[in-house]
Amino acid sequence: MSKEIIRLENIYKTYKNGTINVEALKDINLTIKEGEFVAIMGVSGSGKSTLMNILGCLDRPTGGNYYIEGVDVSEKTDDQLSQVRNKNVGFIFQSFNLIPRTTALKNVELPMVYAKIPKEERQRRAMELLNGVGLGDRYHHMPNELSGGQNQRVAIARALTNKPPIILADEPTGNLDSKSSIEIMEIFRKLNKEDKNTVIIVTHEHDIAKYTDRIITFFDGEITSDKENENMKQEAL
Amino acid sequence: MLFLENIKLALNSIRSNKMRSFLTMLGIIIGISSVIAITSIGDSAKATVSKEFESFGKNNVMIYPNWRENPDMIIGPNAAFSQEDIDALSVRFEKELAYIDPYLSIQSETTVGRVKGNWSIQGVAGSFDEFKKMNIIHGRMISNSDLKGKRDYIVIEKKGAEIFFNTENPVGRIMNLNVNGNMREFVIVGVYAEEKSLFSGLMSTSAYTAYSPYTSIQGGLEINASMLNIYIGDGYNIKQTSDAMVNYLEKIKGTEKGFYISDSVESQQGTVDQILGTLSLAIGAIAGISLVVGGIGIMNIMLVSVTERTREIGIRKALGARTKDILIQFLIESMIISAIGGVIGTALGSGIAVIGMSIAGAELVISPLVVLFAVLFSAMVGMFFGIYPARKAAKLDPIEALRYE
Repeated sequence: MSKEIIRLENIYKTYKNGTINVEALKDINLTIKEGEFVAIMGVSGSGKSTLMNILGCLDRPTGGNYYIEGVDVSEKTDDQLSQVRNKNVGFIFQSFNLIPRTTALKNVELPMVYAKIPKEERQRRAMELLNGVGLGDRYHHMPNELSGGQNQRVAIARALTNKPPIILADEPTGNLDSKSSIEIMEIFRKLNKEDKNTVIIVTHEHDIAKYTDRIITFFDGEITSDKENENMKQEAL
Repeated sequence: MLFLENIKLALNSIRSNKMRSFLTMLGIIIGISSVIAITSIGDSAKATVSKEFESFGKNNVMIYPNWRENPDMIIGPNAAFSQEDIDALSVRFEKELAYIDPYLSIQSETTVGRVKGNWSIQGVAGSFDEFKKMNIIHGRMISNSDLKGKRDYIVIEKKGAEIFFNTENPVGRIMNLNVNGNMREFVIVGVYAEEKSLFSGLMSTSAYTAYSPYTSIQGGLEINASMLNIYIGDGYNIKQTSDAMVNYLEKIKGTEKGFYISDSVESQQGTVDQILGTLSLAIGAIAGISLVVGGIGIMNIMLVSVTERTREIGIRKALGARTKDILIQFLIESMIISAIGGVIGTALGSGIAVIGMSIAGAELVISPLVVLFAVLFSAMVGMFFGIYPARKAAKLDPIEALRYE
């Protein structure tokens, strides 16, 4: 039995909008185990982005507890959350979010800078990761000199630098053409199947979700379905 | 985050916005360079003036009737100084009084061969050159026995020697001088070279200067002087001693209190120093205001930069940057902009001072303390005006910052 990476207990998130309270998440209970490949689906406004922010420790729930590898992170301070993000979460964003005018290598090194890893080690590991995503010849390219797919691969390399237990991708193929989307999803599949990473992908596209093993669907701040991906099972058979 | 990493980041950011960074620095550059230039020029002027005063001899005191407060005062024969007064003063202040003469001088037209010109001759006592710094290049200075013997000896300036005698060393030759209507022959006993000074230009007349025993050039049989030229011996308080001399003179001359006053080089220098000091402080303070303006410029640009880089800040925070890391990153950036401005400003200000002083022909004094202070102060300006934008950056909410377009 593989161990629990993520455990959400009675998570609530309420936004105050003037006098109106908007309940973005209502009593969410969810467990994700090590090595799972999960898609979180839902239309816009369903609460999936709010959940993604909480899972990525960018935001705190207004109620309930969130455990990462058994540690409660729902009451941590901003700076403590920064460190949790640095060590435990690898982010991949729809718009890549690479630092402009900064080389691919420097971008990949960045989380290690905040983790206070020495320069030589940083460089060695960043090169290794860029080689891993097929960008061994693009170390010194700036983001604006790379294609969308290449930028997203740099972002994936960056997400892996501190060997985080959670890889969190928010609409990772949203800005990519279909060919690049397939390439990126294949990388995620490889990260999960071969390297045994826990990967969570937030998406509204079924084509993307079908790559995963487990699909959690949100509607109106609640989980409406949580089931194993039948397609994948059939493929596996 | 590592300090060195932040410096690299800041330099990168400055490089990627060269024009903007330069314009931001300009305020600091102008501020620092004007402060440095003004204080350096002020210090140089002070040093030059003080050197001038020293060439007179710092222990030089003049005693004269108080014309300043009583410009209409009639100086009766009784009030003028005589040889007896000089002798009495010399006895009473035997230890304190190092030198005294009645500050006599004459103008004379002189012809030597085919050269004709005006000479201005100052009457001195013996060993005058020991007190006023003089550079005797040939022969000797007037001695005390010349004074007592009322010898018609003269020590002339080198330039005059060259023009009148066609040699730098005319010692032993004769000059005819008109002393109160009588033509007399003066023997040249020495030649001195005039030191170049700031005041020599101001005080230059068409006349050549020379020194003779005051007893030789005095008008009639009696000295009738309105001023005493005194040097006070080393180790005596100049103010106290000259006050005591004034009191003594008032007593022996039977005048009311405050009839005579004394004026020392020391007190004059003090006054000039004070004026120069106040002046450079005042102008320096005005220049300092431009530093504050420069600081506000930095704050303004850093605020723009923070807004522009909101998304970058969001990314950094998502990847694990703490509040402190972002704060330090932006603070170092504003400090570096400001410190670079400070260094350029120091170089520019020193350059202005060098050029200004070379035009004025004065000695340049750039105090390393002022330079150090200027650079540190500019970095402090950068830090002070960088704090607000840096705090604004550091406090950004990562979710909103990531969403920022």
